[in-house]
Amino acid sequence: MKIVVNGVRTELDTGPDEPMVDVLRDELGLTGTKAVCRTGVCGACTVMVEGEPRLSCLMPAAAAEEQEVTTVEGLDHPVQRAFAAHDGLQCGYCTPGLVVEAAAFVDGWRAGHGDVAPPRETIAAAMAGHLCRCGAYEGIQAAIAAACRGEHDGDAVTPARVEAMDKVTGRARYTTDVRLDGQLEGVIIRATRAHARVTSVRAAAAHVVDLLPSDRVVRYAGQPIAAVAAPTRREALAIAAGAEIGYEPLPAALDDAPDAPDVYGEDERKKAPNHSEGPTMSAPWNGNVRGPFNRMSKRGRTAAQRVEAARAAGDPGLVAGTFTTAVQVHTPLEPHACVARWDEDGALHLHMSTQAIEMVAAQAAKRWGLPADKVRVVAEHVGGGFGAKAGVTAETVAAVELARACGVPVRVVLGRDEELTTAGNRPGTRTEIALLTDGEGNLSALTVDVHARGGVAVGSGVAVMARLMYGRAPRRLRDYDVVTNEPPAAPFRGPGAPPLLWALEQTVDETAHRRGEDPIALRRRWDGNPKRQALYEVAAALPAWTGRPATGSQTGRLRRGVGVAAANWMYMLDPGTEVELTVEGGVVVARTATQDIGTGVRTVIASVVAAELDLPAERVRVEIGRTGVVHGPGALGSRSTASVAPAARDAARRLRQAGLTEGTRVVGKRRRDRRGYVTPFAVGGMAIGRGFSGAVHVTEVEVDTRLGTVRPLRVWAGIAAGHIYAEGPARGQCEGGVVQGLGYALYEERHVDPVTGVVLTANLDDYQIPGIADCPEIDVHFHQEGWDHVNGQGVGLGEVSTIGVAASVGNAVYNATGWRPRDLPIRPDRLIEGMYGR
Amino acid sequence: MITLSDIGAAALGGGELRAGGTDLMSRPAAGPHIDLRGLPELSGVTWLPDGSVRIGALTTIAALAADERIAAAHPCLALAAAALATPQIRSVATVGGNLLQRNRCAYFRNPAFSCFQSGGNGCPARAGHTLRAAVVDSGPCVAPHPSSLAVALLGCEATAEVDGTAPFPVGELYGDGSDPTRDHLLPPGAVLLAVTLPPPQEGERAAHHRTAGRALAEWPLVEAAARLVVADGRVTFARVSVGGVARVPLRLTEVEDALLAGEPLERAAELAATRCAPSGQNAYKVALLTGTVLEVLERAWAPAG
Ligand SMILES: Cc1cc2nc3c(=O)[nH]c(=O)nc-3n(C[C@H](O)[C@H](O)[C@H](O)COP(=O)(O)OP(=O)(O)OC[C@H]3O[C@@H](n4cnc5c(N)ncnc54)[C@H](O)[C@@H]3O)c2cc1C
Ligand code: SF4
Ligand code: FES
Ligand code: FES
Repeated sequence: MKIVVNGVRTELDTGPDEPMVDVLRDELGLTGTKAVCRTGVCGACTVMVEGEPRLSCLMPAAAAEEQEVTTVEGLDHPVQRAFAAHDGLQCGYCTPGLVVEAAAFVDGWRAGHGDVAPPRETIAAAMAGHLCRCGAYEGIQAAIAAACRGEHDGDAVTPARVEAMDKVTGRARYTTDVRLDGQLEGVIIRATRAHARVTSVRAAAAHVVDLLPSDRVVRYAGQPIAAVAAPTRREALAIAAGAEIGYEPLPAALDDAPDAPDVYGEDERKKAPNHSEGPTMSAPWNGNVRGPFNRMSKRGRTAAQRVEAARAAGDPGLVAGTFTTAVQVHTPLEPHACVARWDEDGALHLHMSTQAIEMVAAQAAKRWGLPADKVRVVAEHVGGGFGAKAGVTAETVAAVELARACGVPVRVVLGRDEELTTAGNRPGTRTEIALLTDGEGNLSALTVDVHARGGVAVGSGVAVMARLMYGRAPRRLRDYDVVTNEPPAAPFRGPGAPPLLWALEQTVDETAHRRGEDPIALRRRWDGNPKRQALYEVAAALPAWTGRPATGSQTGRLRRGVGVAAANWMYMLDPGTEVELTVEGGVVVARTATQDIGTGVRTVIASVVAAELDLPAERVRVEIGRTGVVHGPGALGSRSTASVAPAARDAARRLRQAGLTEGTRVVGKRRRDRRGYVTPFAVGGMAIGRGFSGAVHVTEVEVDTRLGTVRPLRVWAGIAAGHIYAEGPARGQCEGGVVQGLGYALYEERHVDPVTGVVLTANLDDYQIPGIADCPEIDVHFHQEGWDHVNGQGVGLGEVSTIGVAASVGNAVYNATGWRPRDLPIRPDRLIEGMYGR
Repeated sequence: MITLSDIGAAALGGGELRAGGTDLMSRPAAGPHIDLRGLPELSGVTWLPDGSVRIGALTTIAALAADERIAAAHPCLALAAAALATPQIRSVATVGGNLLQRNRCAYFRNPAFSCFQSGGNGCPARAGHTLRAAVVDSGPCVAPHPSSLAVALLGCEATAEVDGTAPFPVGELYGDGSDPTRDHLLPPGAVLLAVTLPPPQEGERAAHHRTAGRALAEWPLVEAAARLVVADGRVTFARVSVGGVARVPLRLTEVEDALLAGEPLERAAELAATRCAPSGQNAYKVALLTGTVLEVLERAWAPAG
């Protein structure tokens, strides 16, 4: 058949039912178009067919016979520049599909209405078929509105992030786009049982790579068993589907019932993977329950005694309750992916979608017994991570082992179903909290017990986070893991904090309510963090706050409410970070072994260097996403900016001294903060610095009490993370943090079949993340003072910007209705049951 | 290109008919697809002298939503079309494909399970996750019927035209929902040519509403369509149909009768609960059903503007 792609007439030899997206990407090498959901939900695969946006995942290529197809590579439209200028993107993986659709919309709008901005709802309705996991919806709105006003018809724009033009044109290459000569496609064969010993594995492939642990036991449905490769993914999937796996069934624990069968035998417990970002802390086991981990308590016995006494006495100062959260899944739009190649010298080359290239290189060297300089990792662009893409994970092991067995490069890209079921999640939790206020209205005791279900993994740290807020009153903080035969959790943006704040910030709100005190006023009395004090001051004066209704005062069907929540996060950094600058062809090239997963670290480095050397943007280039250069941080624990920016500035100063002559090379270091760090030395590239970043979210919602829905209307996000190095990306991070927090509050929930342990939310229809129409107006306010002791005066904000959002929604719903949600997400059924008891 | 008369033979080879392909392409292929696009018998919107309108099965949902004459005569159909799925889906998905699409039960769409609908023998959803399950229980399968257009067309008393048979009421595409093995009753290879809507009632007012968690692009938990004629403050004609709650789209004659008998809207809407038999986690759907029915009744009673 013949089609015309980007003006080129092309003869294709494809099956009649082959989806267009595969033909474009695999046969024509047009990898700008992305495949994410393959079920018509996300829009990442959008192309134009005869000038109309079409989903190329649901369209057989044959349906475009003799028609003109335009992919993002062939698009040249003002809206692309608008996306770059207004930062309508972060990781950029959703961007190609969005700009293609937006181009058609903008043209149609301008033809019909002239050069005026459409209403927000009109843009949302037009873009409703696109999902952005980074939550760049505010930027997308701004970009489309600007393009409609005709603001970007000219050529030049100043992109809000340095790689933006690559992302809006489809030039940006992600791991899923990498295609090496002779490359095969690998697929993982996964367990269909929740708990079983695997007795045999048969698959119709020359090389079947084993991925089972040494005891040959699978402990969750979806656990990798083996991997096979074939020339195309379709063939590899067919081999995997036809594989015969022999199982000796074992009883599975699919809930937290006390009589659930053991997931681990006594001597197997050490095998439980750790889903925290730190080392595994020792804790006692009792069946499937591990804990308590209570070493962060402070006068814990006193706290418990006070709470018990208050309970016995019916003290009105005691506010206690149980709060639960659902399992949230990272689901970055670029799935986990790895392309592995062994060269003639026995060196291993990995293209990887990872947040931590150096960590991967170190782990790979260890695992495959290679010297450090024999592992090279490349992650040029990364389509999101949110915590789940750190280190060597299943797809990497599969790709590396298959590449070795087959003697050719092998690519393994997880399907959306795999990404949604096995590639990491934030554990579901149950929190018992009790907060006691004394006669003067001061915090007198706090007890927090959290049971977290991280599947087969352990390492929950939810209650511990309560050590860091609201002064020094006695507190007993106990964390428990409840292991089940379900897929393992992984660190997720602000690990531990969202469930804690969901419980704590609502309990503080309840306390204020019972005392008849303004919830912000109470926090101002209790919260010793001076930076958050500055945020409270602004928040308390917001018209939304001063004009909020009295709780429970409304009787109509639609009720508005406003809620506040505070958040606190550690300041982390990688003190060993270096940035190298070289003058090449008159351009200052910055290099360090870090990666940009959409946070904007490229832009941070570029802007620091350009400002320090007083150079125009085009004379600075940042080359990151490759190992083999000076040490850089992993994109974990909000540490990138605080690590690289001072090192980049140091390098720039050195270069200025050395002179910008061709070939000059300098290396800048991340110099110590005044007064040093909390941790005496860095562990795994991480030190904890002095001081805490803070956030205050004020959220306004509308509750439909008839139909059970909650619509976020506006969010004010006050962020205290010191100096903001790159305004656009920082704002994007904070807006995206709000969007993900709203998803956590209202929609996101992994479901597991209670009988088989199979994850049911295996596509983006069933696992629901916020769309553009769910994104409220977001007002980000930066408080930049208070970090003078820090080299560069600024710290990270990727985590603090999301962790308190759900609690602010809970408090807003309470303000609107007088009913306090205790279980996440706040689904229509829960709202209706909660309000009417049915 | 295939002709209508060849399709029967082609379907015998195990192929499935493809219109827009938006449902078909998202499921594992059962066999080669048989492309229906371009068949003249399935195309076009034709107004007949008696005021009824014949909508070809290949009419896209976007075209339906944008057709001003349809919107004027049959607003609940146009509203249902405009609100479902996403702009891109609407621009390729067809009326025929929408009516005959397969359900969205997470068990049915997951290769790890086998069930009545996928050729197996059992329903893992019943013992499993039931948050979205049908709350009107009509048989072994509890997957709500997916078609939004069917809800509106049922309320509009449309007929379906299938190649080789006399036109029949749209509801007969689905029967009573007791057959758990399929989402519609047409035999393989049977081609839906068109649906025909009789002319609207004089002075009727209509409404459609979907209830879902997210603002757009989400499958509804419950949806409803209502057509009312109100004269001197009394309902003289009522059609109320709902989706998302049963194995098939449902017309709620008990609600209609109550309206005709002069019951207040709220009381009539409450009657929607009488058929419900919640089990597991889906009890909330009863409240959402009565709430959504009340919503469309109120809007049809006093249309905005
Ligand atoms: C994100 C998303 C949200 C959605 N939300 C909704 C929603 O809210 N409400 C809703 O109703 N739908 C919704 N849909 C589904 C969508 O409307 C259907 O996929 C679409 O209507 C199917 O039409 P099609 O022409 O593409 O059908 P196809 O995929 O081509 O066919 C579907 C089925 O119908 C059969 N078929 C098609 N035409 C004929 C014919 N003329 N004669 C006989 N058999 C035929 C095919 O054999 C196939 O079995 C949603 C889809 C997505 C992706
Ligand atoms: S509800 Fe229906 S589609 Fe779902 S598993 Fe049961 S039989 Fe299958
Ligand atoms: S990949 Fe096509 S819509 Fe998601
Ligand atoms: S920028 Fe949209 S998914 Fe990352």
